Amino acid sequence: MAAVVGALKGTRTALSGVLGTWLFLGGVALVLGVFIVPNAIANPSLFLQILIFGVANGGIFALIALGYTMVYGIIELINFAHGDIFTLGAFLALPLIGLFGVTDATPFSVGLVLILLFVTGVVMVLDGGINILIERLAYRPLRNAPRLAILITAVGMSFILEGAMYVWRGANNVHFPDVLPSTRIPLPGGATFGAKDVIVITAALGLVLVLNVFTNNSKLGKAMRATAQDREAAQLMGININRTIAATFFIGAALAAAGGIMFGLYFNNIRFDEGFTAGLFAFTAAVFGGIGNIRGAALGGLFIGLIQAFSTAYLVAALTDVIIFGILIIVLVFRPTGLLGMQVPEK
Amino acid sequence: MKLPKLLAGLAVASMALAACGTSNTGNNASKGTIKIGVDFPESGAETSNGIPSLNGVKFAVQQLGSVDGFSLQVFNLDDAVNGVHDPQKGAQNVQQFVDDTKVLGMIGPFNSSVARAEIPITNRAHLVQISPANTNQCLTKDVYIPTALTGLPDVDCKAAGVPFPKDLRPTGTNNYFRVATTDDLQGPANSDYFYNDLKITKVGVASDAEAYGKGIADTFSARFKKDGGTVVKRQDFPNASHVSDFRSFLRSAQAAGAQAIYFGGTDSNNACVVRNQMKGIFPDSTPFGGGDGIVTGQCLKDAAAQAVGMYGTVATVAAEQVSGAQTTIDAFKKAFTSKDDYGAYTMPSYDATKILVAAIHKAIQANSGNMPTRQAVLDQMYKTDYTGVLGHTSFDTLGDTTNKVITIYTVKDATTGWEVTKTVDLSHGL
Repeated sequence: MAAVVGALKGTRTALSGVLGTWLFLGGVALVLGVFIVPNAIANPSLFLQILIFGVANGGIFALIALGYTMVYGIIELINFAHGDIFTLGAFLALPLIGLFGVTDATPFSVGLVLILLFVTGVVMVLDGGINILIERLAYRPLRNAPRLAILITAVGMSFILEGAMYVWRGANNVHFPDVLPSTRIPLPGGATFGAKDVIVITAALGLVLVLNVFTNNSKLGKAMRATAQDREAAQLMGININRTIAATFFIGAALAAAGGIMFGLYFNNIRFDEGFTAGLFAFTAAVFGGIGNIRGAALGGLFIGLIQAFSTAYLVAALTDVIIFGILIIVLVFRPTGLLGMQVPEK
Repeated sequence: MKLPKLLAGLAVASMALAACGTSNTGNNASKGTIKIGVDFPESGAETSNGIPSLNGVKFAVQQLGSVDGFSLQVFNLDDAVNGVHDPQKGAQNVQQFVDDTKVLGMIGPFNSSVARAEIPITNRAHLVQISPANTNQCLTKDVYIPTALTGLPDVDCKAAGVPFPKDLRPTGTNNYFRVATTDDLQGPANSDYFYNDLKITKVGVASDAEAYGKGIADTFSARFKKDGGTVVKRQDFPNASHVSDFRSFLRSAQAAGAQAIYFGGTDSNNACVVRNQMKGIFPDSTPFGGGDGIVTGQCLKDAAAQAVGMYGTVATVAAEQVSGAQTTIDAFKKAFTSKDDYGAYTMPSYDATKILVAAIHKAIQANSGNMPTRQAVLDQMYKTDYTGVLGHTSFDTLGDTTNKVITIYTVKDATTGWEVTKTVDLSHGL
């Protein structure tokens, strides 16, 4: 037994560097070669379609995962309520969209696009504000308390948010207007690209890129990275910690809200408890990619979206979760810091 | 058995009053109260199933008011926990019925998985239990998929991973009845319709991996293969209520040549979201089939623009098709005015209640007008020979209705919703 543990430790050290990355990529190539490529060749149109579904879902997961990863990076809290912030975005958008008289019958036009962008902007700010409020009321007082206290508070917050949405719109699916164009763009080989898929993928990618640019180049982004690296040193350098943390919560929620609205426009059915599963997978994606690492979260989200799509199409849908978590466990055993490595406060 | 003239007169008088449909609850009752236990999922996502069924019972009791001088009272409990039907909660509810000596029978539950937890308790107490809606065959029968469906040897309940009926009945006798027929007929009825009427030869099948959903998907698939068709793709989705994207399944089914999709499951498990996501993958109005779990208003909402072309089976007679029943339906809709008050199982619950009260009445008579024992009511239930809004109902030795009728509903127009398209009588077997 001790020998196994010792061997594992040795392997783990060996694999935590560049070697590990190459091995992982090798494993991916193997799976691709043995499983994906034959299926792709057999029916390329189906393969492309499934790939598109996977990337679109992955994009939405990525937007939620970013919030998880940023908050963990800065205050080492797994914000279990974050999945519900995502759902809340969709729920908040509904009455606003209704105010403009948008229904299923509304034609897709420049006017509609402007309305959607406006509503998304408003909801992002609103949801961000709610998240700041939650941070201020429920998490900040516990910043120096034992970690479990704040964890349970986050869980409790999740139930409160879900309960609020349940009371507001009921237990069943709520219809979200189906206004994105349903045009299908033909690809060679008989596959079709949905305009909806393109919109979701582009929007998700765009937001991830904007966030990346923001964290690397802006003053607030630098402050966030500094606080994530070493809170006390950052404070000594004159960074307002409370404001930086609040900004992190705001940005994470804004991204999740955008994801929620995209989810609504894409699937046209939202439900008060969908944040529970979405949040679980997004959190898994964040850990998979390296918690605290923004690029890792995006990558992890993409991964999980792809695994879900391919597993349901080519394998057994009932085993999708087993496959996702199986891969997660294997990666974490050999690379506990996740694919791209952790970026959390130094102790 | 001597029956004093005065009591006979009272019995006739109260029967006449009941037949007249006066809704006096308890004013002419002097002998006490008889309670009817009712267990349905009444909250959360199950409201669309449980409340219409509960309303059927309430309406029947409203109309009857009393039986032989005893006033009738509905004692209803909710078996939903966090908005989902819960077998353990159902068992607790039923224990409450058993503990209350005024309860002489119960109506419910709605879900087969809950019935499995409840029957042992009511069985030990010899309490009559009638369900208007349970369809899983293993609650009364030993065979899960009969030879008649597949041509292969019987698949029994144990092989399907569920208890035999005798395992649910510790006393060795039966106290459980149902006015709905079973899934081993429901899936096949839809299958025959797809194959023979709609000329579909290739189908993609999915389920929500629950007892009811998987059961009905299995019997559909078995029958479809026997009819001569092919199931080109099959997936089961555990935790289907948390799955948001079924399109990978739908697209791979379409790639395999599916001409229709069958989903075994309930609307609360996103059955009709699957239908909605067929858009863009299958041509509009491609047939989509399911069991009674999708014949609801919520399903129409979930399916939204794709509602037309859905086919759902209900394992009872459609009261709308029974001559003379329309007056009762209209009276119900006058008393319960909301559109969500009436559902596919309202009239079955109504008839189940009246059948129970008829048995109670006979038991009272047999006991010289006094409060009968539960066993006495149970003895009378076996002799049921009742004609009502479901037509003629009697029970076989297993407790199943002899009325093995499956009604097939379809959506031709999203505004009118579910309409009956065919009634299939399988009383003479498959």
